[in-house]
This record gives sequence, C-alpha cells and structure tokens, in this order.
Amino acid sequence: MGVNAHPQLGGDGFILSKISDIANWGRKNSLWPMPFGTACCAIEMMSSFASRFDMSRFGAEVARFSPRQADLMIVSGTITYKMASVCRKIYEQMPEPKWVIAMGSCTCGGGPFDSYAVVQGIDEFLPVDVYVGGCPPRPESVIDAVMKIQKKIENVGAPLV
Amino acid sequence: MSFDTKTAVGSINQNLPGCIVEQEEFRGETTLVIKRERIEDVATHLKENLDFKFIVDVTAVDYLGIKSPRYEVVYLLHRFGADYDDNVRLRLKVRLTENELRVSSLTGVWKGADWLEREVHDMFGIEFEGHPDLRRILMPEDYDHYPLRKDFDVRNREPSKKSFERALREVGADYKPAS
Repeated sequence: MGVNAHPQLGGDGFILSKISDIANWGRKNSLWPMPFGTACCAIEMMSSFASRFDMSRFGAEVARFSPRQADLMIVSGTITYKMASVCRKIYEQMPEPKWVIAMGSCTCGGGPFDSYAVVQGIDEFLPVDVYVGGCPPRPESVIDAVMKIQKKIENVGAPLV
Repeated sequence: MSFDTKTAVGSINQNLPGCIVEQEEFRGETTLVIKRERIEDVATHLKENLDFKFIVDVTAVDYLGIKSPRYEVVYLLHRFGADYDDNVRLRLKVRLTENELRVSSLTGVWKGADWLEREVHDMFGIEFEGHPDLRRILMPEDYDHYPLRKDFDVRNREPSKKSFERALREVGADYKPAS
C-alpha cells in the first residue's frame, strides 16, 4: 500500500538504513551557512552565494545572520584579537552539530598581517573543518569547501542528539 | 579673490605673534610648526577668521632615534572655496617631548577632532587635554601598550592575546587554547 508498494522502491517497499545515516544525509544536503565576513573575502563569499556561481545548487544557499539558525560558519576575512572574542561568542551560540570553514589566507594563518593585532590562524580559537587558501579564494574554491564539508558529514557525521 | 597660505601665515603672525615656530614649504605644501601652548588659539583663528572649516586628519609621528623632541602631532586642515584656488590645505605640527606628552584638545574648535585624537591617544599615548571622552578607540580597553611607538615590537601579540582571553572569560565562553 501507499509508498511501500511504489515500483521505484523496488516493488517490495523496503529501505534499510540507520537513523543516523538518514539524519546525516539530511544535514549534508541542507547546510545553513552563517557568514562571518570581516574583509574582502566576504565579497567573494557573497559572489559564491549569488546567481553566477550559485551555491544553492549544493543545498546551502540560505545564509543566516542569526547563529542560532545556522550550522556552518564561514569565517571570511582578517580576524583581529579584538574580533576573535566576538567570533568565538557567535560560534558558541550556534546549535550542535556545527562546522567551520576558514576562508582565505588571513583566517588560515594570518595572511600578510604578521602584526600585534591579527590572529595567526583562527584555529587558535575555533575547531576548523576545512581551510580554503587564496587571497581571496575563487568562488569555485568556496563551493568546493562546502562540498568537502558535505563529504565529511556523510563520512564522519555527527551524533544524533 | 584667491586665497593662499601666505595670507593665512601673515594673518596668524599679525594676530597671534610668536606662535609659529617654524615654516616649511615642500612641493607647494605649507607646514607650520606651532608652539605647543598656543595650538588652540591658532586653530580657533584659522577656523573663525580664515575659514579653515574642516579638520581632515590628526596623526602623530614618533622620531625615536632620529630627532629630538621625540613626538610630533600633525593636524591637516582644509579650507573650502567656490573656486579651485580657494581650496587650500594647511598642515600644522606641534612638537612634544617624552616628559610632556600633552597638548590641548581641538575638539572645542572642530567637533570632528574627537575620534581622530582618540586614535592618536590609542596609538601613541599622547594626552589631549580637555578632550570629552579620551578612551582607546581601536585597541581593547584593557590594552596597556601604544602600538605605533617605535620602541614597541609590532609582532608582539601577547598583550592582544591577554585582552582576548579576558574578553572571553567575561562572557563565560568555553575557550581552550589549541594544543
């Protein structure tokens, strides 16, 4: 009857899976990014979301400016120590499970700013999942980073609760 | 009637004699070194009587090991005019020694000097007397160095880290340094 009798499900009407796999499958195809843009990389990030490059093809187009509605933080732009505490606070406000992309040379390792104010890589205070080099990275690289996050969710996943 | 800096210098010398310590000309730019105690008088005269209505920037230079006195505070002024020639820029400087890092605030003359003087205070530790709100503007409030002084190591991140960790403790964020 109903769904179970549908021929596309093999006639017998069963799908065998684990509930965590289904949850991860759902998570990876509907990432909600939280853009943390502080510099020029943010412009390139906007371009990745917009029509020419169109991140929505990969199920991650709805950028949320509230951390409570997001599960992927894209840190794009130079992070100073004064900004770092704000960045960490916003990360704490995101619900679990959550992932982080370090976009651009500055977030990966300080970029050209070997100075008293700039954090030499945001992994000093955030657990980064994917690093994207470039100054700024091409939108293709950003999309590639999101796809790598999707692969990570598929392979490693996150606990159900 | 066109206006040039000679008119301005003449007017200052006439109305406030002895205020200009030194005058430099370089590629059509005029720089006046002003007596520290008289900067507010000169600024008021320039704004009220000579139409220098706009303060473009306030900054400072640290000449550690190059010349003495060590510091110079630099004021860039602009005078708007209907004709091209009436638009004039003028640079004022005040020399400060290490023992007397104080100069009158110009916020009473130009309101726009407020944040500019706060930045100079933040970066060089120069006190602006009479400033309404002389707090740090760029660095964290508990930061205890002056980054643009020449004897500060620009790669020294430890003070910034301390302020960062304190800011996190204040909100109770769960922060563990990377191992």
